[in-house]
Amino acid sequence: MDWLTEPLSQAFMIRAMICGAMVGGLCAAIGVFVVQRGMSFIGDGLAHAAFGGIALGLLLDVSTNAATWVALPFTVLVALGIGWVLRSGRLGGDVATGVFFSVSFALGVLFIGLRPPDRPMVNIESILFGSILAIGEQDLIVVGIVAGVTTLVLLGTWTRLAYATFDPALAKLSGVPVAALDYMLLALTAVVIVVSVKTVGIVLVSSFIVIPAATAGLLARSLTRMTLGAVLMGVLGSALGLFASYHLNVASGATIILTLGLGFLIALAIKR
Amino acid sequence: MGGSADWPTVSQTPQTQPNLEREKCVFEARNISKAFGDLQVLQDVSFWIPEGEFLCLVGPNGAGKSTLLKILLGLLEPDTGHVRVHGKGGREAIDSHTVGYVPQRKHFHPSFPARVEELVAANLRGRWPVRIRAGEKAKVEAVLERVGAAELWGKAITDLSGGEMQRVFLARALVTEPTLLVLDEPEAGVDVMGRAELIDMLYEVSCSDVLAAILVSHHPETIARTAERVLYLDGRVIAWGLPDELLGHAYLPAIGDPRLKSTRYDDEQR
Repeated sequence: MDWLTEPLSQAFMIRAMICGAMVGGLCAAIGVFVVQRGMSFIGDGLAHAAFGGIALGLLLDVSTNAATWVALPFTVLVALGIGWVLRSGRLGGDVATGVFFSVSFALGVLFIGLRPPDRPMVNIESILFGSILAIGEQDLIVVGIVAGVTTLVLLGTWTRLAYATFDPALAKLSGVPVAALDYMLLALTAVVIVVSVKTVGIVLVSSFIVIPAATAGLLARSLTRMTLGAVLMGVLGSALGLFASYHLNVASGATIILTLGLGFLIALAIKR
Repeated sequence: MGGSADWPTVSQTPQTQPNLEREKCVFEARNISKAFGDLQVLQDVSFWIPEGEFLCLVGPNGAGKSTLLKILLGLLEPDTGHVRVHGKGGREAIDSHTVGYVPQRKHFHPSFPARVEELVAANLRGRWPVRIRAGEKAKVEAVLERVGAAELWGKAITDLSGGEMQRVFLARALVTEPTLLVLDEPEAGVDVMGRAELIDMLYEVSCSDVLAAILVSHHPETIARTAERVLYLDGRVIAWGLPDELLGHAYLPAIGDPRLKSTRYDDEQR
């Protein structure tokens, strides 16, 4: 049992476990709706937008940690912008996301370049690939609050969100506030992505959104089971990935995603 | 269009419209106009449907039929004019308990894990059901039975054939016991065998004395069998009358086959 107890004797690993489980479950729950709406690309788009927000924070001379608070409104605004373009019906979701995504990322690169040279160096790698082992107590509290609020919002709106996801026109006819729910889901996705970036980084965070939901979607026969399955996979995948990365002494963010990817392949094999 | 020279023009053809003084109006569209940019899709469209009447809305592609349906379902705002259901206008007048809607295209994502009874119950509740309650179960079973789809309970929506899918969507629309049913090309994606069954079912629906319906269709046999009145739309109302006044009329291209006659009363005469 040493393989299990030894990593958990380290405080940083316990924090990483808790954070990974919360982020994994949270992204998976949101991911069910994102994947079912055929918007998987939006996770990537908003993660790159988050980079623009973090870079803006760094330009405003706040610490990498505090930059999250600049990235939050920045990414939510980008998400609402994508939603507005989508609803106007002039462009497809992939085009809207593609434009916002690249412009936000380019802005991020510009903001970092504009920082005065006397400022401390920024560890871009940790923003891009995450640093779950460096999670502090404050980070845990922030993720915990976001997880709590998101869970409450999702529980409160789940049945209407599901109906609007199945068919917006039919749901609207049944009195579901489809437009408001669309914007809410986008804003919630943005918030979840920003707080998750520290765990697995900008490049990999969208996998947390897409892979558990896609895997559960392969096996589940109802949306309720799909949601529960995706959350379970997000939580377990994070924990298993972390253990694996600890014992193999390799990058934890990447190992978590590879664990989730393996789960997806197994589900795909079972389905066939 | 053989023999069109012998035919009177549309304006010379008698067109008997429902008499609002004698019949109870369920649905009314008044002076509806809608443009998208420079394209005028609908111009001053007015018509009404009395209780129990089955109206077939026909016209060529691009005639504005789908736009009109979206407006009457409250999914699109007209530039001018208004719609009223039971004399009431605005958002609160049109909901799934007054209007049952069978869409032409099913927009749901193919991987959405929805089962037949969940889809039907969702319309009853206005929310996606986590589980079906006892009261809902009886209603869902009854409506599936009514459309001949009782055996589809528990099946995934994505596993249904085109004909089964339409029956389930018809059950979904009927479960709230609406007073107006809107059917947008229900034969789309249904094979020949399934279509015959579907037309029989639509005929059954059309026999109701209470349920009014608007059916958009391009299929002559559906129109001939179900229509109690026909409205021919091409951006504006070109003709609006009884099936025998308009079906087969050479000046109405979508239904202009001179052999086309109403067959809806054949059953009743048998």
